[in-house]
Amino acid sequence: MKVAVVVQRYGPSVNGGAELHARYIAEHLARHGQVEVLTTCASDYVTWRNALPPGVEQVNGIPVRRFRVKHERDPLVFGRRSDRVFEQRHSLGDELDWLDAEGPTSPALVDYVATHATDYDYCLFFSYRYYHAYYGARAAGTRAILVPTAERDATIGLSIFQPLFRSVRALMYNSPEERAMIQAVSGNHDVPGVVVGVGSDVPSNPQAARFRQKYSIRGPFAIYVGRIDQNKGCKELFELFQGYLKDPAGKLSLVLVGNTLLPIPEHPRIRHLGFLDDTDKFDGMAAADLLVMPSYYESLSMVALEAWALGRAVLANGKCDVLKGQCIRSNAGLYYETYAEFVGALEAMERNRWLTGTLGRNGRQFFRDTYDWPVIERKYLEMFERLKKDAPARATDPLPGWFDRRRQDLPAAEDVLAKLPKGPELGAPKPAQREPDGRRRA
Amino acid sequence: MPDFNVRSDSVNVEQIMEQIRARIREKRGVDYTEQQIHELATVKLEKFLDPKGVRSDLLEQFRKAQPAYEPPELPNFAFEESTLFESHRAPIRWMRKLLLPLLKLLFNPNPLIQALNIQARLNTMNAEREAKREGARRALDQLYYELIHNLVVETTRTGIEVKNLKMRLESISSRLEFNERRARALESAVVYKPSAEDVAVQRAPAPTVQHPRVMPTPPPSSRPMAPAPTPAPAGSGQAPAAAAPSTGPSGGTPGEGPGQRSRRRRRRRGRRGGGPAAGIMGAPGTGTTETGPTSTDAESGDAHAVAAEDVEIALGAESHPSEPIADSGPALAADAGHDLSTDSGHESSTGSGQGGSDPDAQ
Repeated sequence: MKVAVVVQRYGPSVNGGAELHARYIAEHLARHGQVEVLTTCASDYVTWRNALPPGVEQVNGIPVRRFRVKHERDPLVFGRRSDRVFEQRHSLGDELDWLDAEGPTSPALVDYVATHATDYDYCLFFSYRYYHAYYGARAAGTRAILVPTAERDATIGLSIFQPLFRSVRALMYNSPEERAMIQAVSGNHDVPGVVVGVGSDVPSNPQAARFRQKYSIRGPFAIYVGRIDQNKGCKELFELFQGYLKDPAGKLSLVLVGNTLLPIPEHPRIRHLGFLDDTDKFDGMAAADLLVMPSYYESLSMVALEAWALGRAVLANGKCDVLKGQCIRSNAGLYYETYAEFVGALEAMERNRWLTGTLGRNGRQFFRDTYDWPVIERKYLEMFERLKKDAPARATDPLPGWFDRRRQDLPAAEDVLAKLPKGPELGAPKPAQREPDGRRRA
Repeated sequence: MPDFNVRSDSVNVEQIMEQIRARIREKRGVDYTEQQIHELATVKLEKFLDPKGVRSDLLEQFRKAQPAYEPPELPNFAFEESTLFESHRAPIRWMRKLLLPLLKLLFNPNPLIQALNIQARLNTMNAEREAKREGARRALDQLYYELIHNLVVETTRTGIEVKNLKMRLESISSRLEFNERRARALESAVVYKPSAEDVAVQRAPAPTVQHPRVMPTPPPSSRPMAPAPTPAPAGSGQAPAAAAPSTGPSGGTPGEGPGQRSRRRRRRRGRRGGGPAAGIMGAPGTGTTETGPTSTDAESGDAHAVAAEDVEIALGAESHPSEPIADSGPALAADAGHDLSTDSGHESSTGSGQGGSDPDAQ
């Protein structure tokens, strides 16, 4: 079996969610077959500047083939086109222009996929929203499998992606919420799809005491891991936590791990440690009482999965359907939608140690049942097997013609998004839980 | 925060969240949506207005006075992609369609079409927004009216309550004063309770001037330094008052009780402030000339009975000190001398000054 992993950026230093996801999948699938990564020379997701040399290189034993990006992203043009397609009635041509402005525009990559697609059994395209996935999946034809990593934002409402969701051979979803959203927007119920997600290489023996000693942290604390950004809900987290700090009974501190784009509030119980390597990060998560996940938009929170893998409870933003759904399905985390709920949930977890412990245990079990690497690999391999047996359902739709591209008849993407169903997907059965005596129950 | 009810290894996150929400509701009341708050406000207003009967139809009147709002139909145009090339004549329409590529070769009509289309939509949106805003404004007017109406009612009610509280305060202060006086009277009654011999001595000189409705009268014998009381002639109300300064020394006399001392102080204060007690009493001499004998007759001259009754009165039995002592002037003076007459006169004036504030009267 030979698989191509096509992703916008790739490398050991690239830490974006989808890119890391792609690297993990590539490295784990490489144990079962031949894997090659097709990507761009860019390392910065804002400019898509060609920072790495084109050609083939080995990254952790995986051959990585890089292609140059034709032009960098112009933020002004991209912003203008985004306003147009997200907020106004527009044409298909506008959406294609938006895609071109978003990047990473690499026709060389798409050409390579078009000419060499037959060399691979399957091409795994990561992140539906980028140029390489849209044109690459069309070029790969029936070999294209999409890992959409879709979030609940306006991009999902763009019309160009609906045929993409319908025409790929299969979709590997990150969560039931993502699947429901994509199926609602594109009606691709007949396209094979499975909720897979991604695993994580969590150390088996993290050193909590080492972390506390290294960073002089005492007492109970909640940890946030990730980019400290307003888009990640961190501003709201600061406001909520500062409110919690006013309660003299509360003892929790907040430890922030990651690069920051926001000013950190100055308070002795709010600590920012900056970007940490994986060892310190996992030590910190093991030392924490709980992980806070304030993000509004997640297709799958890898940090939350890592916290669960380490047996830590999670407090998530309930306005994010995916996180809320994961908390409910796993019984491993609480969620908040208001300030009162945030404080109430924190207090409940702080003052009821058994609750935090039980949530953490449930999280560990949830991770093992759903996101452990053997499970993930098995799901991918089963999908490949299934696709081998099934004939492709439909051919790729041709690109619209010149006139069709200029018809101003497409609704604003935000209007489309607003009509999509909301809320966590709770129809799926909950994972098996352990009884106090250690037995599993359905 | 108390422990949760669910205590087992298998927790249900939704159940826990529900408990947390329930606790939040307990802490700060029910979480209402804006709509619920508005509904509650309306219901509360109606409930408040109806039972109290405070012009409860005002709101209805206001609603009736306001005509129903109908948004005006503003002119607008529809502008679609094909509007520019439309015609009711089919051949012209066909020609235009045919020549459209040529036209587009000469100039790009798309921006024009887009702009006019957007303008048409903007017009519609503006009209809708204006209508919504006007509707909201009218609803807000009603809300303000309700609010102001409620405020007026509440302010009135608060004013009445303040008045009530003031009156209650006056009543309580008058009761307090009464109680103080009663306590003083009791005190003197206990300290100067006459012995059997004193009573016997007292009975002889003043059999006719005793009055039952006076404050306790310490017998002259209980004050060794004071001269023996001389029976005052009936009708001469001035005599006791005039004799007062010569009654005894201003300092504490040996054997003199604290009640006497304080009485004397009050007497002096009374004199300084308002002249003779008789004057304050409103010419007791004139009034008492008529009533004196009557009361004297009623007493039948039993000093023992008088003393006992004095104590009873002092204990605050049935009559309030503020009651007018119609028959006490000369008799009192004659009985207890100027000392007591001044005292009772002072009390009487105080009592009549607050007569209207008798707590029982309210």
